Amino acid sequence: MNRRASLLPWGLLFPTMAILSIFVIYPAIQSLILSFQDVEPLSKRSFFIGFENYEVLLKSPDYWQSARVTGSFLLLTVIPSLVISLTIAVFLDANPFFQNGFRTLFLLPVAISSSMAAMLWIFIYNPTAGFLNYFLDVLGIHGPNWLADPDTALIAVAISTVWKELGFNIIFFLAGLSAIPNELKEAAELDGANGWQIFRNVTLPLLSPTLFFVSVVSVINSLQSFGQIHILTTGGPMGETTTLVYNLYRDAFVKFRTGLASSEAVVLFTLIMIATTIQFRLAKKRVHYG
Amino acid sequence: MGVYMASVEIQKVRKCFGETEVLKEVSLSIREGEFVVLVGPSGCGKSTLLRMVAGLELPTSGTISIDSKVVNTVPPKSRGVAMVFQNYALYPHMTVRDNLSFGLKLAHVAIPEIEKRVKEAAEVLGLVKHLEKKPGQLSGGQKQRVAMGRAMVRQPKVFLFDEPLSNLDAQLRVKMRTEISHLHRRLHATSIYVTHDQVEAMTLADRIAVMNQGQLEQVGSPLELYQNPRTRFVASFIGTPSMNFVEGELLYLIKAPHGVASAGFRPENTFLKQGKVSLGEGQVVLVEPLGSIAYIHISLKGNYLVSEMKGHDWPEIGSTTEVFIDDSKVFYFDSQGKRI
Repeated sequence: MNRRASLLPWGLLFPTMAILSIFVIYPAIQSLILSFQDVEPLSKRSFFIGFENYEVLLKSPDYWQSARVTGSFLLLTVIPSLVISLTIAVFLDANPFFQNGFRTLFLLPVAISSSMAAMLWIFIYNPTAGFLNYFLDVLGIHGPNWLADPDTALIAVAISTVWKELGFNIIFFLAGLSAIPNELKEAAELDGANGWQIFRNVTLPLLSPTLFFVSVVSVINSLQSFGQIHILTTGGPMGETTTLVYNLYRDAFVKFRTGLASSEAVVLFTLIMIATTIQFRLAKKRVHYG
Repeated sequence: MGVYMASVEIQKVRKCFGETEVLKEVSLSIREGEFVVLVGPSGCGKSTLLRMVAGLELPTSGTISIDSKVVNTVPPKSRGVAMVFQNYALYPHMTVRDNLSFGLKLAHVAIPEIEKRVKEAAEVLGLVKHLEKKPGQLSGGQKQRVAMGRAMVRQPKVFLFDEPLSNLDAQLRVKMRTEISHLHRRLHATSIYVTHDQVEAMTLADRIAVMNQGQLEQVGSPLELYQNPRTRFVASFIGTPSMNFVEGELLYLIKAPHGVASAGFRPENTFLKQGKVSLGEGQVVLVEPLGSIAYIHISLKGNYLVSEMKGHDWPEIGSTTEVFIDDSKVFYFDSQGKRI
């Protein structure tokens, strides 16, 4: 191989490597460095303080509350989102007649920007003029002030998040379901399996690669949720919707505690990595690739 | 393994998909223990008929009975049938053992009995070494054996085969065909086998049902269909290479009776050196040597004929040669394709 040919792969990789280095790798390293420093607001002065930022975090009740909120938000978004989207996808897969129209309908929220979607939900959740409370009133139920009540705010934000992500999940599940040969379901039917047994023993195992991918993406998206929280509740009421990401945003861009926010970013990165590693470990036993 | 037998009675079964009628009042009786092959070109409705016996499709009208019991509305699992699919339809996430035992577990068969049946089927089909493997680790032939084993362990009353060998290479297809034949002789199970390959049909069947455009053209033993085809379609479909057909001027030379639209004779009754009746001279367009025999393709007065020739004394491509036939072995058909 001549010199020119040996340089070609590097030349082709260069644009991607340059973009990743500037926008991903360099900021990540900077965050890690900053997490061990005390950075003076609005200046370039910073001092190495070791693990002090991490100590502050671990001793902060607000941070622990945001961790609790993030955990609740994770459960309230990922599990319902997976269950509902899988149910809808299975229904659409079994009823091709509905597929085209409903697929577009469910995909629509994905195409809307998260700020626009959040504005829609502000209208829906409005305690006096909102659609939700109007319909509850019709049913004789007095609806709460969804976004201002500490008991319902996180649920309300979670519902809007699930609604927004449903279409994305449905598309992947539909693609996964359509890749399962119909003959396998017929063979199971002849083997004596009923609808649930076919789903449990044939469809679900063969859908597991898709289920795994969608669940990893959902967990990461949920842990990184920001836009809808910022517009719907700005982390309130009483910190009940302040997730780790929202706490980080406030420390970095409201309180200008860059060092502390960087340590939060490092902790969040570690948490996402742990969550994804656990998912990959589980996947080794449960996911069937062809 | 146990002996599983049931009769199957298909009476005036029609099937429509929307406006399209794919089966037109098909009736067929299959005796206990009989091996019946449904053969016909693609789209003739043979797989649809098989799927209706399995319960995977509902007939638009007519009845299907298994063991004298109408099963039109009986779900597939309760019909006592097992099916071997064209693409094997093995569960890719399960081991061979789990594939074989899945149906038995669903039927709550006792574990020792499941193990016994799986072991027996694995021994019969030579799968003992592969029981812990997943289908992805098996060859095409092994997958097909697992598919057959899955049908066997259920001890069904009727075996259904939907083009089970069409995904295998030619050599393996011949081997598996022999195995299916051995298996049938051993189990004496009632079997319905769908194929578009007439060689498979001829070698496996007790009786062949030839289908065309949603209808049964003729049902009979392989030899009966070969020696006594009732329609031009059956005559052309059964036998390799296909029967030669002549029309027009050549009909006078073979003194065809009145009303004949076409006459047919098999390649083995078409001769190049000598014979009873000469059809005149034709041009050799292709020679297909197969070892001990060769097929000589000849163009003669607008007709395309094939002669089966023994030995190696073949004519050159492009040369002219006189063609003879044995007029006692000619079949005559009317303009509707019916035998006269």
